[in-house]
Amino acid sequence: MRIEAIGCEPNLIKRFALENSTRLDVVRKHGAYDMARKAVTTMSPAAVIDEVKKSALRGRGGAGFPTGMKWGFVPKDSPKEKYLVINGDESEPGTFKDRYIYERDPHLLLEGCLISCYAIGARTCYIYSRGEYKYLIDILDRAIEEARAAGFIGEKLFGTDFSCEMHTTTGAGAYICGEETALLNSLEGLRGHPRMKPPFPAVSGLYGCPTVVNNVETIAAVPWIIEHGGDAYRALGTEKSGGTKMWSVSGHVKYPGVYELPMGYDNLEKFIMEDCGGIPNGRKLKAVIPGGSSVYIMPASDIIGKKVLMDYEGLVVAGSMVGSGGMIVMDDTVDIFESTKNLTEFYKHESCGWCTPCREGTDWLVKVFKRIANGDGRIEDAQLLLDICDNIEGKSFCPLGDAAAWPIQSAIKKFPEDFKKHLVPMLQQDAIAAD
Amino acid sequence: MSTELIKVTINGNEYQTEKGARLIDVCREHDHNVPSFCYYSDLALQASCRTCLVRIEKMPKLQTSCTVTCTDGMIVTTESDEIEKARRGMVEFLLANHPLDCPVCDRGGECELQEMVFDWGGLEERFSERKNYAPEKFLSPMIGNDPQRCILCKRCTRVCDEWMGEDAIEAGGRGAHTVIGTYGGWLNCSQCGNCIEVCPTGTLLDATYRHQARPWELEQTVSTCTFCSDGCQVSLGSRAGEVMRSVARDRYVDGINGEFLCIKGRFGHPFINDEQRLRTPLIRYRKGGKLIPATWDQAFEFAANRLKEVADKHGAESVGIVGSPRITNEANYALLKFAKELVGTPNYGATDAFSLVPFFENLSAPLATHKDIRRAQTIILIGGEPEELQPLTGKQIRQAVRNGGAKLIIVNSTPIRLNQAASQFLHINPNTEDAFVLALTDESQAASSMKTLGIEAEQFDAVRKLINDTEGTCIVMFGGELSHAAQVALTGLPAMMAGESRKFLFHPLPIYNNSVGVHDLGLMSGELSARDMVAVAGEGLHAMYVAGSFLPEHLQGQEERLAQLELLIVQELFETETTKYADVVFPAASFAEVDGTFTNNDGLVQRVRQSIAPVHQSRADWMITAGLAKTLGMDFDFQMSASAVFRELAERIPAYNGLRYPQLKDESKPVQVKHQISERRDTSNDMQTLRERVSQMKPDGEKIMTTPNVGHELFKPGTLTSKVPQIHLLAAGNPKPETVLISPLYQITIDSSLRRDEAIAAD
Repeated sequence: MRIEAIGCEPNLIKRFALENSTRLDVVRKHGAYDMARKAVTTMSPAAVIDEVKKSALRGRGGAGFPTGMKWGFVPKDSPKEKYLVINGDESEPGTFKDRYIYERDPHLLLEGCLISCYAIGARTCYIYSRGEYKYLIDILDRAIEEARAAGFIGEKLFGTDFSCEMHTTTGAGAYICGEETALLNSLEGLRGHPRMKPPFPAVSGLYGCPTVVNNVETIAAVPWIIEHGGDAYRALGTEKSGGTKMWSVSGHVKYPGVYELPMGYDNLEKFIMEDCGGIPNGRKLKAVIPGGSSVYIMPASDIIGKKVLMDYEGLVVAGSMVGSGGMIVMDDTVDIFESTKNLTEFYKHESCGWCTPCREGTDWLVKVFKRIANGDGRIEDAQLLLDICDNIEGKSFCPLGDAAAWPIQSAIKKFPEDFKKHLVPMLQQDAIAAD
Repeated sequence: MSTELIKVTINGNEYQTEKGARLIDVCREHDHNVPSFCYYSDLALQASCRTCLVRIEKMPKLQTSCTVTCTDGMIVTTESDEIEKARRGMVEFLLANHPLDCPVCDRGGECELQEMVFDWGGLEERFSERKNYAPEKFLSPMIGNDPQRCILCKRCTRVCDEWMGEDAIEAGGRGAHTVIGTYGGWLNCSQCGNCIEVCPTGTLLDATYRHQARPWELEQTVSTCTFCSDGCQVSLGSRAGEVMRSVARDRYVDGINGEFLCIKGRFGHPFINDEQRLRTPLIRYRKGGKLIPATWDQAFEFAANRLKEVADKHGAESVGIVGSPRITNEANYALLKFAKELVGTPNYGATDAFSLVPFFENLSAPLATHKDIRRAQTIILIGGEPEELQPLTGKQIRQAVRNGGAKLIIVNSTPIRLNQAASQFLHINPNTEDAFVLALTDESQAASSMKTLGIEAEQFDAVRKLINDTEGTCIVMFGGELSHAAQVALTGLPAMMAGESRKFLFHPLPIYNNSVGVHDLGLMSGELSARDMVAVAGEGLHAMYVAGSFLPEHLQGQEERLAQLELLIVQELFETETTKYADVVFPAASFAEVDGTFTNNDGLVQRVRQSIAPVHQSRADWMITAGLAKTLGMDFDFQMSASAVFRELAERIPAYNGLRYPQLKDESKPVQVKHQISERRDTSNDMQTLRERVSQMKPDGEKIMTTPNVGHELFKPGTLTSKVPQIHLLAAGNPKPETVLISPLYQITIDSSLRRDEAIAAD
């Protein structure tokens, strides 16, 4: 399990290697909360938002929405309470970057929260984590207590009028609660169903109040931006996607782990084959899902020799997406039909049941996959699967319907052989072989 | 919603519409068919069924038309290959796990999913896998549930929450295994059954009608509910002379209640064909003897002769005529005519629970309709408990608060359930409602009334401020707790507090379906009230002709007094406490067997229509009265037609002048009778009476702190509702049975079942 920065200085992970890095006294020596003090005492909220806008920081949860712009949507003159909600639900298969921020440097997240709250005018921050992260939430709770005792959380911070309270809260094990509006419902104690948009959370979110929902990693990048300035952060990455990004790599690589890379890292082939040590046991690369299970699967042929840039635009050009940065690498022993079936079962299990296409569509998809796996495949099933996906995609209530459809669509398109061998009955296959 | 008009283009046609109008409504208004399941007007948006997808220019994906509000210049397409594919896809999804058991489903034939499949379904099913399975079960004695048929539109959970404020059913589970369920597996709610009504499929089932009939066998008759004063419009489904069910489904009926009904309106109908209905006229030939079946002619003859004897011996004043707030205006009118023109007695009355005569005599503002309540800005509820006694009013109040932002002021000695919607709750001492009215209408008495009421002056001032701050409609509701003087005082409120931007409406909360009707006819204004008549039975009053039966509050535990009468004529559906003392009993037809009208608490006069022929030998009440009159030698000239009775009634009763049945034909456009708004009369006597009454009140009464149980009124087995076996289970506390897979009625056995005995004892 490697945690290292490649192609840049360690920014997000710079304190990860310290001994007892979760302790305030340790990280204080390395500058923790200095940037919160700087923002609160020397900058106006508008100036903080400006820096973040300049930094080209984009949401690290998966959608890649510009963070500064999101903050700018919060109505300044609203008499209502404003909230910052941290999305630490991290339930996208293949993604495990936020947990290391919790585990190794919780104060980085808290400092980011302080600065963000100050920028958007919030006095309360909720850190929502998936229920399975119980042991990490304990770390975070201890960190909050330490910070409160040291006067970094609470009333009238840094000698100003700025007050900020933080609470941790957990989900009950639902993938959908990583979707921001479902997260807000869950936070309010309701069923984890997505809400209608508009209104967007920035206008009417938690308890009907203006709310900013940001990913853990996004917020953790804020102190660096305050320290070095927005322009410096943008310069780390590309024009449109600033800064560095944490990639969690799993699967058939020699060194799985969490890697901090600058946006626009050149290139994906080098990253897998050299930085991550390549494919073990002398096997060949077959496929990569670069950004968490919901994005399009990439065959090796789209990576090897293609110089795929690792940023939002580069991966779209290559036929996939950055998503959450949860990279799953598969070697040539993997049957893409089986791996897709596995993913589809996940989406079926996690469909919240609110809207028809996702609820019934994923259920049906799994039933078709299981039938095929049982040897009852029919050649027309490929078309049936694609058609079901088409009826889900773009018609579901929230983006999770699309997320369930995309992996199947791309898998059938990119790996037709893996499907065909399950769809064509054995006898027929034998006949073909005999020819 | 603003009234600014904007242009919207739908399928190439340009339409003008109000800014902010919902796209799906605009499409449907102009006959561009957009299907949907989860969209239900006046409920929170759901946008989950995804069948109302349309293409809007400049928007990336297909949009759900139920969530889109129209903006100027919007260009919409509702029909294209892309949209058709999407809709067919959604219907295919919905059918995937839906069992194709239409032949045994109660909804088969009137199912919205069936219709949708006719329009958008595929020729063959591509889904060849095994469907998800969940067993059929019961959620309560009234409500059955087949979870497999559910398409999760969640109309049921939304009406339960938004209409009823109960939140008794909610989705459980996740994904394709989501089911509509209850907390604890059993429904302990008011059992309104609106979840059944709004269900587009056969998922939620009327447990009293389940597997009894198919929808297409039923003849649907639009009528008015016979249970409370709200006057909901129902559609009675009858087959071969039997009423099988009562629904408010909008495909059959479109009344003031929409698709709303309460437990009584929906499940109370079995009394109509109950085997205990009186079959023939009955005569008790000698006091203390038995009631013996007779022919109509014998019974008329017997009653007429004896009535003549009494009148000749003691004079016409010794005869009392008693109408009923539960029978039609026509029936009450025939009785009034009988009293005034044939017998010539001033002693006529009606068995209403309380009198509203002082209120109507001094009426100073129009009556509020239920639509007015939904749109009111402020609602003041003095006494009463509409969620138990007038459930539609309760629902309108809840929606006014929840969806309309209305302010609700509740003045009550009990923390009634509706309190959860209240902005202000004045928890007053028991029986001090009068003191509140006095404080409100006579400022000099306000300070001294606070102690009597047991509230703080600030609370009262906040109420006054809320009323004074109201911009729009302020509706004053009151129950039977107010004394006559307080009713009069209350009518003075509009003159004191109405303003340019604030108007007052009244909404009295009488108990019975035609309570307002008996007031309008003047039956409540006779010299002796029903209670007085019972009190002087045998002393001054020697004969009585009663339609229906006396209530306990009229009898005052002195029912033996009725035995002192020389003659008691009763027309009834069932044997009751009153028929025990009757000399002649005529079997009357129920509301489902007659034509007529009821006047509800909005002052709306609504049609009652004959659904089935009168059971056994029963006859409509007005026909019995006219028959008895004929035997006595007077032809009422009703020509055997209810419309002729109503015509005569409308000619003679000022508020009904000019009305005829054809005007009352359309239940969606109900007609309000013209109650006279009186000039301010001198009410100083009444105010003085009220002041004295309040000054004698003792403020030491203990406040009632507990919220009454759901159904403490609704579930009481009355003469009519006790004929529904399930009601007895509810009255016994609605215990969850050991198994929910078979009908909860298994708990009731024909012979001396323990549970049933408990149920009756609980009443």
